[in-house]
Order: sequence, then C-alpha cells, then structure tokens
Amino acid sequence: MERSEKIGLGVALGGHAVLFGLLSVGFLATPNPETLKQQPITVSLVEEVGKEAVSPTPNVEPAQSVAPEEGPPEDAAPPEPVEAPPAPKPDPAPPAPAPKPAPPKPAPEPVAKPKPAPAPKPAPALKPQPKKPTPAPEKAAPAKPTPAKPSAPAAKPAPAKTATRAAASAAKPTTAARGSGNSPTATASKPRGSRLGDDFLKGLSDRPSTSKAEAAPAAKMGAQAAADIGSAIQRQVQPCANRQVNPGPGASRIRVTINLKLNRDGSLAARPRVVGHSGVDDENSRYVDRVDDLAIASFVGCAPLRGLPADLYDVQNGWSNFTLRYKLPG
Amino acid sequence: MNPVFNMDAATMSPVALFLQADWVVKFVMGGLLAASIWTWAIIIGFSVRLKRTRKDMTKFERDFWKADDIDAFHKAEAERDLPSARVFAAGVREWRHSTAGGQIDKGGTRERLATAMGAAAASEIDRLSDRLNILATVGSVAPFVGLFGTVWGIMRSFTGIASAQNSSLAVVAPGIAEALFATAIGLFAAIPAVIAYNRFSHGVNRIEAALNRFADGFHTTLSRQLDGSR
Repeated sequence: MERSEKIGLGVALGGHAVLFGLLSVGFLATPNPETLKQQPITVSLVEEVGKEAVSPTPNVEPAQSVAPEEGPPEDAAPPEPVEAPPAPKPDPAPPAPAPKPAPPKPAPEPVAKPKPAPAPKPAPALKPQPKKPTPAPEKAAPAKPTPAKPSAPAAKPAPAKTATRAAASAAKPTTAARGSGNSPTATASKPRGSRLGDDFLKGLSDRPSTSKAEAAPAAKMGAQAAADIGSAIQRQVQPCANRQVNPGPGASRIRVTINLKLNRDGSLAARPRVVGHSGVDDENSRYVDRVDDLAIASFVGCAPLRGLPADLYDVQNGWSNFTLRYKLPG
Repeated sequence: MNPVFNMDAATMSPVALFLQADWVVKFVMGGLLAASIWTWAIIIGFSVRLKRTRKDMTKFERDFWKADDIDAFHKAEAERDLPSARVFAAGVREWRHSTAGGQIDKGGTRERLATAMGAAAASEIDRLSDRLNILATVGSVAPFVGLFGTVWGIMRSFTGIASAQNSSLAVVAPGIAEALFATAIGLFAAIPAVIAYNRFSHGVNRIEAALNRFADGFHTTLSRQLDGSR
C-alpha cells in the first residue's frame, strides 16, 4: 500500500467517523418529529334488536287543579240570642244592603238582620256600606240569585246569610273569602277550592294522576326514526342515483339492501356493503352485480350525508351502522 | 439520555438505526460502510497520486526533451518511480541490448523498441488503474446490496406486524426506517464511487495517451539515432 493510499484511508476513516458522529448527535435530525398518537376507540358489540319504538311515551297530561273540599257543608247555626243585642246597632245597615245588593230582593226581613250581625262585624259593617257599590259587582252579584230563591218562604235563613256574607265580604274582601265552617252558605254550591286562591294546591290532584314518574326517555331508534333517517338518506342520495345509467331492462326492479357505516359527520366510514337483494328474476339477474356497483357508487358519490339526527347516531340501532334498501330510479 | 446512542424510535442517529437492525441488515450495513470507507480511501489516494503523476510526467518530459545527453539523463532519472521514467528506462534498456552486438538489425531493433516501450507503458497504466475496478464494483453493486438489506429489513418488519397483531404506523415505521438506512448507505457508497470511477478513468486515459505520446516521441528519437549511428 502506497503512502498516498494510506493517507486516503486515514482521511476516509476520519471523514466517515465525523459524518456518522454528527448524524448521531442529531446534526440532520428532524427537529421535532411528530409523535404518532393513537386514539383509542371504544367498540361495543350489540346484538341485533328489532326496530320498534322503545321509548316510553312521555305523559304530558297535567295534574288537575282541583282543591279538596273543606269539610262537609253545614247549615248555618240558628241565630243566637246572644247576638240579639248587637242587632240594634246595625239597624241602620239593613236598609242599605237591602236595596243595593238585591234590588229585586223582596225579603230582607228584619228577622234576618239580627243574624247577619255577628259580633265582630258591627263596626266595619257600618263603614262599608257607602262603599258597597264597588264590591257589589264581584261578590254580591253572584250572591244575588240565591237571595232571589230564598224569597220562597221555606228557606228564610239562607237569604239572610248570603246577604250577610255579601256584607262581610264587602267589609273584608280578602279575608272574608276564607269561609269558616260555621257561617257558610249551606245549601248553596259547595265551597270550591278556587276560592282559596288560584294557585292554592297547584299541581296537586285529589285523584291518582295518570302521569308516572319515569326516567327521561332516552333517544332510541324507533321504527319511525329509522324511516325518517332512511328517507333523509334516500333524498340526499337521489341526485347521485339519478346519475347512474340503468344497465338494462328490469334492472330497476332489483332492490339492493345496502349497509352503510357512517361517521358522526355523515361521511362514510367504510365502503357501503351490499347485504342482500330482492326483486331479482330471470330477466334482470345478470344485472345484479352492476346494480350493486351502481348502488355503492350512488352512496359514495353523495357521501357526506347531512342533517341526520345527531342524538340517534350511536344509540342502539343508530345510524352509525344503517341498513336501507336502494333501487335504481325509473 | 446519551445523545450519541439515542435509542428513541424517532431518531436519525445511524448508530441507533444500526443497533436496532436485524443481523443480516447489520452485516449489509457494515459491508457497505467498509465499502464506503475503502472507496473514499481510494478516491483520496488516487486523486493525490494522479495529480502528482501527471505533474511529474510533464516535468520529466520537459526535462527529457531539454536534455543533451540521453545517457546522462538516464543515469540521473531512470530509477524514478514514474511511468514516463519506466518507459524511458525500458526503451534505453532495449536500445542497449539491441545495439550491444556489432551487427544491428534496424528494422528488428525498431520493432523491439516499440514493443518494449509499449509493454512498459501498458504495465504502468495497469499498475495505475489497479484500484479503479474497485470503484467500479462498489459503484455498481453497492445499491443492490443496500436494496437487499432494505428488502430484508422490510420483510422483517412486516413479519413483526404480523406477530404484533398491530398494523399501526408506529410499529412499522422504525423497522422500515432502519431497513431504508441500508439503501441509504448503499447509495452513499455507490454515488461517489461511480463519479470517481468516471473521473479517474478519464484521468488514467489522459495519462495513458501522454505516456504513449512520450513513448512514440522517444521511439522516433531512437529510430533517428539508429539511422544516424550507422
């Protein structure tokens, strides 16, 4: 080996060592090689289940707003003798209520007057009288019919009471509504709960409600939803289907059952798969393969399917894996 | 982590790629690396020698044509390790042999002179271009050897996929990278070898032409001497 060759060998060795050393310390290395990330995918195996409406019908019937009866109706207590003494006081009153609340009322007899004067009321009773014209329309007016009836001699006490009630309610429009058991209109209509205020016992019912407390219905793929999705897909695929050339007579009788694997955004996750046929007869049997291809081409061509309900994507039988039937147009 | 022996999968480090590789691929890589080193040694040594030879030959020929006394010049320069000097020495030797006797066959002497100097020139060119065939071999074979290493490494990484039951890129990529490294080394050795081979064969051809010109010139000189000496 000559001297020049020795020099060459030494230089070559040194050069290679330097080059590979530089490469080893990252001389030409990619600055930040992107790390390969794998997204884990949850796979759940679900056995085939019939497509029926499995979601419970939410009961929308509201509870009835019926208030309970407030005890049994009772007749008015007979006029008490004790109350007689105050009676004279309200004397001026009787003339006033008589004409106003019930102009036609013929019988605000003096007998009645002692009764309407329960002890607590004497003083207020006097005052309200000038005011009566205003309260009269609300309470006295409905009360009128009853006084009208009592004109019949049989039921004398009743008219009297209504009259007093009218007076009382006039005196205390709000508190008077709370009828106590001893001064109610016995024979008149039952006290209705609504008199306790419109929102009293709201939402409660005196009978068992037809609504049942159930968990909120989950979004499930019922037959209706499946049909809706199927028609939505058909509608979007139609432009592509119209573009396909009918391969021959009778080919449009072939119905291809096709299985779509869809992504959440409506794009195809895999190539559509033909899973079955119907309508194949002797005439068109040779076009089956062609129709399969055309069907797949239609779905691939109009691929990103829009507007499918997102909540039915990954439920059981959802449209992530959807099977529908396709037929050539025409 | 030692940066030199970075065993990270996503690295360009040749050492890491070499150490991760299969033994067949390692063998290929090692062979190719040796070929590359040998190629570069030849390239460097050859270019140095070629340049020096060309310079010395030019100087020798200039001196030769300027020299008055061939015998004196022969005494001074014939022992040099130079193609021109060897051819010159062969011519002078043949001349002395042929003119040693009383009777000189001019035609035979001319032929013998031409043959002797031609043989010396051919032998010098052979000696000069001795290493050139190594460059040619490396230049043509190294890519195939590297490709063999790559194919082997890729086969191995595919069997790795099959056994790992996982076709993700992270499983395949390192194996393929280290397999491709074999081809890279192959090309790394072959490309300079091919370039150098073409360049050096051109240089050797020029030296051969220069040597033949010198031999022809010397032959005409001797031939004239032969005619004049009678």
